[in-house]
Amino acid sequence: MKISTRGRYGLRLLVDIVENGGNGPVALSTVAKRQNLSEKYLQQVALLLTRGGFLNSVKGSGGGYLLKDRAEQILIYNVLDLLEGSISFQEEDAEKESPIERIIRLHFYAQLDQEIARVFESLTLADVCKADWFTYEI
Amino acid sequence: MKLSTKGRYSLQTLVHLATCKENCSIRKISEATGISSGYLEQLMIPLRRAQLVVAERGVNGGYRLARSGITCHDVLVASEGDFHPAPCKECEKNGLCKTHQIWSLLQHTVIEFAKDVYIEDLASHLVESGTGGGI
Repeated sequence: MKISTRGRYGLRLLVDIVENGGNGPVALSTVAKRQNLSEKYLQQVALLLTRGGFLNSVKGSGGGYLLKDRAEQILIYNVLDLLEGSISFQEEDAEKESPIERIIRLHFYAQLDQEIARVFESLTLADVCKADWFTYEI
Repeated sequence: MKLSTKGRYSLQTLVHLATCKENCSIRKISEATGISSGYLEQLMIPLRRAQLVVAERGVNGGYRLARSGITCHDVLVASEGDFHPAPCKECEKNGLCKTHQIWSLLQHTVIEFAKDVYIEDLASHLVESGTGGGI
């Protein structure tokens, strides 16, 4: 089980924008420095987040990115679903599946998807930006 | 987000073995799951090491489950290793990064859920649906 680089960078970008966007748009070059991430890669992720309706892009000098909605209204589940393509554990190609695959999908992956949706249901970007709401050693 | 091929195939292998009353050869597991024999041999190495399956040689040799009560979590730990959703351990910001909490919540959710799903229960659904392999 792996979250893609896009998923990880995308969330770090959003958190950085919340924490540094108090005085207007946040330039990706400053995010890249603070987070020690590639600016080129951040541009791709920012474009995806803009198209997905999470960010607004402001052109010109002093330009950058702003959250489209308030952080309290942005659900982490929806962001991950966009960045990861899908947050589901189920295979897309259900037609070709064997009887064993079908049973595992129905009784494990589909129910795991529901559990993740339940756990993440109300978790917002604002919650994540608050310090230490949740910690497990990983 | 998906489990690795190794993890998914290992689950299928164990569910099939749970439907078998006797030792099951690699060839038979391959027929039931569609996984190639060569790949199955590789999957068995960590599963044997984790003492989830046992192999017997001889005419009626083959693989069987080592014990009852094996969970999906047991299988995934054996096949996928640590299954961290993000490589936070190598990250210099570990402990400071707020997104880290999302990945640990995700990991925790998957682990706790997988601990409650038993291979034998999955196998009994398979038998009920009339498509049980080895019985």
